[in-house]
Amino acid sequence: MTTIEHGMTLDQIDPEVAWSAWEPSAAEPWDDRRAAMLYRRAGFGASGATLRDAVSRPVVEVIDGFFEATESEAAAIEAFESESELIASAVRSGGDVARLSTWWLHRMVNTPRPLVEKMTLFWHGHFATGGEKVRDIEMMYRQNVMLRESALGDFRKLVHGVAKDPAMLIYLDSATNRKAHANENFARELMELFCLGEGHYTEADVQELARCFTGWEIRRRQFRFNPYQHDEGVKRLLGGEVRSGEEAIDRVLDQPQVPRFIARKAFRFFVCDEPEAPDALIEPLAQRFVADGLKIGGMMRMLIGSRLAMSDWSLGRKVRSPIEMAIGLMRACEATTDLNRLSESLASIGQALFFPPNVKGWDGGRAWINSSTLVGRANLIHDLVHDPKVRFGGKGFAEWLSGDGVDGGAGLVDRMTKLYLAVPLSQEQRQRLLGDGPAKNLADVMGRLATLPQFHVA
Amino acid sequence: MMKRFDRREFLKASAVGGVVAVGAGMPSPWMRALAEGSKGDDRILVVIQMSGGNDGLNTVVPYRDEAYRKARPQLGIAADQVLKINDQLGFHPSLRGVAKLLESGRFSIVQGVGYERPNRSHFESMDIWHTCQRKEGRVGEGWLGRWIASTGSGDSADSLGLHLGREQQPLAMVARGVQVPSIASVDQFRLKGTQGGDGGSADGSGSAVMPAAAASKTGDDPLLDFLESSTEVAVAASARLDAALRSAPAGVGGGGEFPATGLGEKLGVVSRLIRAGLSTRVYYVTLDGFDTHAQQPAAHAALLRQWSDAVAAFVESLGEAGQRERVLVMTFSEFGRRVAENASQGTDHGAAAPVFFCGPSLAQGVIGNLPSLTDLDDGDLKHAIDFRQLYATVIERWFGVPSQEILGAKYEPIGLLG
Repeated sequence: MTTIEHGMTLDQIDPEVAWSAWEPSAAEPWDDRRAAMLYRRAGFGASGATLRDAVSRPVVEVIDGFFEATESEAAAIEAFESESELIASAVRSGGDVARLSTWWLHRMVNTPRPLVEKMTLFWHGHFATGGEKVRDIEMMYRQNVMLRESALGDFRKLVHGVAKDPAMLIYLDSATNRKAHANENFARELMELFCLGEGHYTEADVQELARCFTGWEIRRRQFRFNPYQHDEGVKRLLGGEVRSGEEAIDRVLDQPQVPRFIARKAFRFFVCDEPEAPDALIEPLAQRFVADGLKIGGMMRMLIGSRLAMSDWSLGRKVRSPIEMAIGLMRACEATTDLNRLSESLASIGQALFFPPNVKGWDGGRAWINSSTLVGRANLIHDLVHDPKVRFGGKGFAEWLSGDGVDGGAGLVDRMTKLYLAVPLSQEQRQRLLGDGPAKNLADVMGRLATLPQFHVA
Repeated sequence: MMKRFDRREFLKASAVGGVVAVGAGMPSPWMRALAEGSKGDDRILVVIQMSGGNDGLNTVVPYRDEAYRKARPQLGIAADQVLKINDQLGFHPSLRGVAKLLESGRFSIVQGVGYERPNRSHFESMDIWHTCQRKEGRVGEGWLGRWIASTGSGDSADSLGLHLGREQQPLAMVARGVQVPSIASVDQFRLKGTQGGDGGSADGSGSAVMPAAAASKTGDDPLLDFLESSTEVAVAASARLDAALRSAPAGVGGGGEFPATGLGEKLGVVSRLIRAGLSTRVYYVTLDGFDTHAQQPAAHAALLRQWSDAVAAFVESLGEAGQRERVLVMTFSEFGRRVAENASQGTDHGAAAPVFFCGPSLAQGVIGNLPSLTDLDDGDLKHAIDFRQLYATVIERWFGVPSQEILGAKYEPIGLLG
C-alpha cells in the first residue's frame, strides 16, 4: 500500500491515496494525540476527557459525529442553544456589533457541534462582511445565523442567500446599485472572491453582472427587489445570456471553476497552509463537490476523514489563527474566562470576529504572524494563566493540573504535548523552558511555552 | 544636530522594560552598533499606501476639463472649490497641507502612473505594485524586500525596513532571508512575564523567555523556522524601539502635535524613530478606506485630509530636527477609479492615477500630463508612466544603487529627483 511519508511534498502525494479514508495502523494508531489533531481540525480542540472517550470508540463513528448529531446529544444541544440564545438577546439589545463576538466565542468554547462553528468561521472569512461599515448588529447577527444554517449544507443556497443578505448588500454597496449606472462592487467580489477566483472572468463580465443586481435594495432591514431600478436588458455573462440576478448567480455557480476554488480554500483552511496544492490533488474533492450538487458536507467528510488530513504528514502544517490558539487552549484546559476581554485581545492580534480586515477575509497562514502579534499572543496566554478569575475545570491553573496528576513543569509540558501541541518540543527547548531547578511556577512555564514556535502551529 | 542612539540609554531602557537579558543571546552586530552608534545620515524612504484605490481625478482635479464635468455630474469638484495648482489642475479642498508643501517646493505629483493591461482586482493589482510581477512568474518577493536583501544591514542592529500597522505585512517588504518587523502599536509591544517586564516572573527565571532567540533552529520545518526567526525579530525590535522612543520626544517640535488620526499617529512614530537615530531606511504605513463605490464625497474628503495633515506634520517635525533633507515620502494606491461616476455617488475600480512624492531636491510641481479623459481604456485612464519607472527612480537616484536586478528588468528613471 502506498503511504504518505512525512517528508513528502504535495505533488509527491497520490491524490487517490490522499483522499481515501484514514484507518489506524501500528505506525499511526488511533490515540489521544491523533484524536486531538482531529478535534483541532474539525473543531477548536478538546479536553483530555473528550479525547479519552473518542479513542474508546471507532474512528469512523467519531468523525461521523462531527457531521450528524446523535439522539443522545439532543439534550446537550438543546441546553447549549438555549444558553446561547440568552447571550444573543442580551448582546443584541446592547446594539454594539463588537460585542456580538462574545456570543460567538461562547459558542466556539461550549458547542457540542464544533464542526458547525468551524465551518461558520470558514464562511465568515469567505463571505467577509465588516461591522465597521454595516453598523447594524441585527444584520450582522442574521447573516451569521444564515451562514451557520448552511454551513455544511448547499453552497448554491448559501451564495443566493449571501447575495440578498442585508449586511452584505450594505458592505459591498449593492443596496445603492441603480440601473442608470451600475455599481460594480458586489458583482466583482462575487466572482473574484466568493465563487471563481481572480483571472476566471473578464472586466466585461463584471460590468454585465453588475447590471443584473441593479434594483436589489434594502427596505426596513430586509432585501427588496425594486423593479424600477432594475436593468431589464439581456446581459452577456461568462459566455451565456442572463437577465435577472438569480439567473446570473446560477450561471456563475455552473462554472467548473467553482468547486475547485472552494475545495482548494477548504483544504488550505482545514489541513495545510502552504505551499499551494497542485490542481491534481484538489480535483477529487472538487469532483465530489460537483457530484453532490454543490452540497458541502460530503466533500468536507472526505477531507476531514482522509488519510492526508489524519496522517502524521499533516501535523504542524497550519499556523493557528488567534481564535484557534485561544479557544483551543480553553477547550483543552476546560477554561472559562471573561469573553469580552478575550474578544478584545483577539482583535489586537488580528482576528476580530465580525470585523475581518477586508472583503477578502483573513489570509491565514504566515499572515497571522508578525512582531506585534507574536508578542500579543504570548501576552494573551500569559494573562489567561495568571489571571485568578480565569478558572480551569472550575479551579486555579495549578490546582487543576495537580488534580490531573501534574505537579511539575515537565508534567505540564507532557500534558500540553498530548492535548495541544502538534509538534513536540526539542530536548534543547525543553531544557531551556524548564531549567535545571525543581518544580517551577506552572503558570510561568505555560506563559513561556507560548513563546515557542510549536505553540503556534496545529 | 543629530540625535544619536546612545548605549547608556539603551541599557537603562532594557533594564526597565527590555525583554532580553543583556548578553544572553544578543546578536553581536547589535552590540557593535551600540558601541559605535548608528550612522544617522543615510537616506530614508517612507511609503504611504492608500488602500482601496484612490480616486486620482478628485485628488488632483482637472477643474477646467469639460469631459471631467460630464463624467462627474454629482461628484465633480467645482473650479471655485479646488486649491489651484495651475490653470488646469487643482487639489481637492481637503489638501491644504500638501498644497503648502507644493508651494514650498517640497512636493511633486506624477501624473498618469499605471501599467500595461491594468488589473482591477484590489488584491491582484496591489500585488503587482508590490512585486513588480504579474501572477504568472511571481515569486512572493517585493521590490523593497529585494532592495533590503541586496543592501544588507551591515553592522547595524536595526532592521532596514519597518512596517507600522495592524494590517498584515505588505508583500513589498518581503524577500527571502529578510525579516521585517511589523509593529501594530508600540505601546502594546512589550512581552509580559519577562525579567523586569510587566507582570514579573515569580521564580526569577525570566531570562529563559523566548528561548528560541538563542536556541538552535528547530530543523527542516519551514513553518517552525519562520516562527522562530519571527520571534527573534520581535524580541530585537521590541527592545530597540522601546529604547529609541524614550530618546525622542513626541510631537512635531515647537509645541505642535501630530494629528490624532491613524496615519498621524503612525507618521508620528516614524518621525520619532528617525529622530532617535534608528538606522532603518524604509518605513511602510498604510491608510485604508479608498474603495469608494458609494457615498464617496464625505469619505474621500476625510481620507485626503487625514493624509495631507499627517504628511504636513511629518515634514514639519523632521525640519525641526534637521532631518528633513534625508527623507523622501512616496504615496501610491493600487489603482485610480473609473472616470465616470456610478449611480451610488461613488466610483468603481479604475486604472492610471497620480503618485505623490514629498522630499528635498524634487522636480517640483506636476510631472507628466494628465491622461486624456476621452481616449479611455474600457472607461479608465490610460497610463503614461509605468510605476516601475518610479521605483527605478527611487532606487537609483535616491538610494544610489542600480535598479535592474531589484526590479527584475530595466526601467527608465524619470526626471523626478535632482
